[in-house]
Amino acid sequence: MVSFAAEPIFRLGFFPVTNTVLDTIIVDVLLIALAVYIKKNIKLVPGFIQNLIEMAIETFYSLTESVAGERASKIFPYLMTFFLFILIANWSGLIPGFGTIGLYEGKERTFVPLLRSATSDINTTFGLAIVSLVATHMLSSTTLGIKEYLGRYFSLNPINLYVGVLEIIGEITKVISLSFRLFGNIFAGEVVLGTVAGLSAFLFPLPFLLLEVIVGLVQALVFSMLTMAFMAILTTPHHEAKEVSAK
Amino acid sequence: MEIVKEFGLNPYLLAAQIVNFLIILYILKKLLYKSVLDMLKKRSDSIKEGIKQAEEGRLTLEKALEEEKKILKKAQDQSRKIVDDANTQAVSISKEIEENSRKQAEKILEEAKRQIEQEAKDTERRLSENVTNLSIELIKKSVGELFGEREQKQLIEKAAKQLSKKK
Repeated sequence: MVSFAAEPIFRLGFFPVTNTVLDTIIVDVLLIALAVYIKKNIKLVPGFIQNLIEMAIETFYSLTESVAGERASKIFPYLMTFFLFILIANWSGLIPGFGTIGLYEGKERTFVPLLRSATSDINTTFGLAIVSLVATHMLSSTTLGIKEYLGRYFSLNPINLYVGVLEIIGEITKVISLSFRLFGNIFAGEVVLGTVAGLSAFLFPLPFLLLEVIVGLVQALVFSMLTMAFMAILTTPHHEAKEVSAK
Repeated sequence: MEIVKEFGLNPYLLAAQIVNFLIILYILKKLLYKSVLDMLKKRSDSIKEGIKQAEEGRLTLEKALEEEKKILKKAQDQSRKIVDDANTQAVSISKEIEENSRKQAEKILEEAKRQIEQEAKDTERRLSENVTNLSIELIKKSVGELFGEREQKQLIEKAAKQLSKKK
């Protein structure tokens, strides 16, 4: 039975190096290698990989521009990094060997996989959600100014103050919903794949694998799009929002 | 706390994941997004420049074609004018030559007529002289035996007068 918590493989002092941390390192290496490769080999006439990356970046940038307008350049790096990091982390769990190659530990000889998808660890998804929230509020305060930013949550008007308190609760809920949605979907996917593979290791798991590929893509999109939407909403000045709603 | 333990929420791992994501965000922003977005902008600019140059080229070509048409029309007009002038000149020269020829022919004809008349008069005069001489000779021979010398002379003078009157 797969445990909710990521299993430590070894320790570096007080820091437990879990199987999800190892996957995080793999995802980091892949992303950095891709970035370095593109930086070194970028050409006016693109090759296959550059074309693929350009297509993704251009699509996401245009999408951000259509939602956030001139604030797109500030929001886009978060959106794209969330998408790439979560997508690769989600799909890495589908690579043969992830969750199946491991060690038997303890007296009960519990199976501990060496590698496990980073997004099937609540520490990763919660961490990403915190970054999303903090970045959203930092962008909001720098774009709107401290006065207008705080005005959203604090007011002398009791009704507005009540709405502000609800907004603060909403922000906390955002973190919980973002992190648990991603964690739940990917963790559940791993459990399903493990169970199905236990029933039959050949052919039978293939449709489920395909389903998990789609789930991985959708969850990466959901997380990044929601972050973009939150950022776009919170960085929109009050008068601009009024104009938009009037239209 | 039981839930936190159950899900394996660990502050060190959480902090490590946050720091890790921020580092990745920074690296991707500097290496990947900046270079790709710059390249996209560069490509977009070069395409815009290409379209602009093509448009300029098209306008220049249109202008050149217009100019060509104008020059061609001007050349055609000039050539038509030259041909018309040449035709007019040719007609005028031809008329002049015809007139000259006609005048010359008339002059030659006049001269010929005059010469013929002169010839006729001369011939008539010579014929008349011959007739007179022959008549006198004939009178001399026919009256020489009948009349004396003095009567002969008077008769011949009278006949000569009569003949010269008839002339």
